[in-house]
Amino acid sequence: MGISKIIEVPLALELPVGPQHPALHEPVLLKAYADGEEIVKVEINTGYNHRGIEKLCEKNSFYRDIFIVARVCGICNLVHADCYVRAVEHILGMEISNRAKYLRVLAMELERLHSHMLINAVMAENIGFENLFMNIMLDREKIMKAKEILTGNRVLSDYVMVGGVRRDIDGVKKEKIKDIVLKTEERIKYYKKVFEEDTTILKRLVDVGKVSASDVVKHSLVGPVARASGVKIDSRSSDKYDAYGEIPFNVITRSEGDSWARMMVRWDEALESIKIALHILDHLPSDANPVPDEKKLPRKIPAGEAYTRVEAQRGELTYYVMSDGKLPNPYRVKIRTPSFNNIISSGFMYVGYTIADLPVILTSLDPCISCMERVTIVDIDKNVSYRLPFKELAKGI
Amino acid sequence: MSSRLDFLSSFTIETLVVKPGRKTYVVKPEDLRSVFSKMIEVLGDSSFYVSTIIGTDLKDEGRIRLDYYVVILPEEETIVLRTFIPRDNPSIDSLIDLIPGVLPGECETHDLLGVVFKGNPFLKRGFFVPSDIVEQGKYPLRKDSGV
Repeated sequence: MGISKIIEVPLALELPVGPQHPALHEPVLLKAYADGEEIVKVEINTGYNHRGIEKLCEKNSFYRDIFIVARVCGICNLVHADCYVRAVEHILGMEISNRAKYLRVLAMELERLHSHMLINAVMAENIGFENLFMNIMLDREKIMKAKEILTGNRVLSDYVMVGGVRRDIDGVKKEKIKDIVLKTEERIKYYKKVFEEDTTILKRLVDVGKVSASDVVKHSLVGPVARASGVKIDSRSSDKYDAYGEIPFNVITRSEGDSWARMMVRWDEALESIKIALHILDHLPSDANPVPDEKKLPRKIPAGEAYTRVEAQRGELTYYVMSDGKLPNPYRVKIRTPSFNNIISSGFMYVGYTIADLPVILTSLDPCISCMERVTIVDIDKNVSYRLPFKELAKGI
Repeated sequence: MSSRLDFLSSFTIETLVVKPGRKTYVVKPEDLRSVFSKMIEVLGDSSFYVSTIIGTDLKDEGRIRLDYYVVILPEEETIVLRTFIPRDNPSIDSLIDLIPGVLPGECETHDLLGVVFKGNPFLKRGFFVPSDIVEQGKYPLRKDSGV
């Protein structure tokens, strides 16, 4: 019997990672090329979730845009709204009350807390610790509750408005939030210990996806990714926006630069967020009503431009807002999210590591992925080649 | 800080301020690469990063404005390098060989505004823009795109 078919397994296996993944935001395709187990190249394809938010902002009024930008990302809606609103306030030359500034910081730190818990939970799940995932998510839910007590909603809160915030807080709510935060602190310390001591977690994360401080800066990587490589950048301490100039906190950095360091930076930052939240709850100023009267807000925005930065959970988030002074809509709104830099520029980080390390590295940057695999089939009789999933190949040709 | 950036004065046409207090240096488009080369020479390539590239279509002026927001380390001071290019021939030298971190910014600005960054091999339509808009040859952030 003559040979009719050849199975050609390429030396560099093309491994598309994504773009569909229901678990986390940012559908993105990582086209990985592997030589055996070793990754030799990664191409990053985007465009699966572009909703034209910047264009939409140009077509809506300054005030309606607050709700649009809050929907760029569910998990960090508050920082988006805060960054945009501060840009508008700068154009207006508006100063807000200290109480409003403190409340904004409290809300943003609760958001950082639950976001860091979420990605650490996802990392635990990705490396096979489903129970740990469930436990972290259970405790995260309590922080969501604290956020609900403060802002009125678990996720999309629309809490920040031009001139202040939408709701004030009373003594009862303060006590409830404090109680939740104190209980969560103990749990986070425990999870941090697990990530520090568990042998399997260490084996999967340590020395995986190492990035040097120099590469971080050259590739414009930001946030916990940069700080885990020893680059001390944090918009909270440099720009001192809202009340960050008055609240004591530490910028967490580590020197290891690997996936483990990135997760540990997040645990330590979660503990710092708790310190900030407790400080605010104990030192909340009462200088003025933090909720402005919407009817008295300026209807006309003067010509001007502002560029604001905020330290979102994933790193530096920036907004540029420009008003021409004629239209009720902004002339230009530019949003640069931290993942825009951290994910698109991250291709170099995977090279030299194995296929099994790919999800670990990607998760340590803070999105999530799914995998599928293919080989090429060459049909000699028909002189055609086509692609087939491994699953189909296993059934026989 | 200011003494480290003194070299910018020889390239600067005009200085402005973007609120809140971001120093803005307007430079000629043909000088932009030289400015960044000099910046690497003076500050070192690990002492600053390009945070954002913002393209704005100034249709009435027939120009496209490009703003490079640069964060100087370790102070984390944000400065802006601003340049203008003609709207009917929007091209400028790419910085990708000098600073790999400009990749997302240049690709996005090309896809949404049609600016050609000469020397960047990764530019492509559809980086973000959906295929139907790409097929129509439209750049969504142009004021007359009709998108």
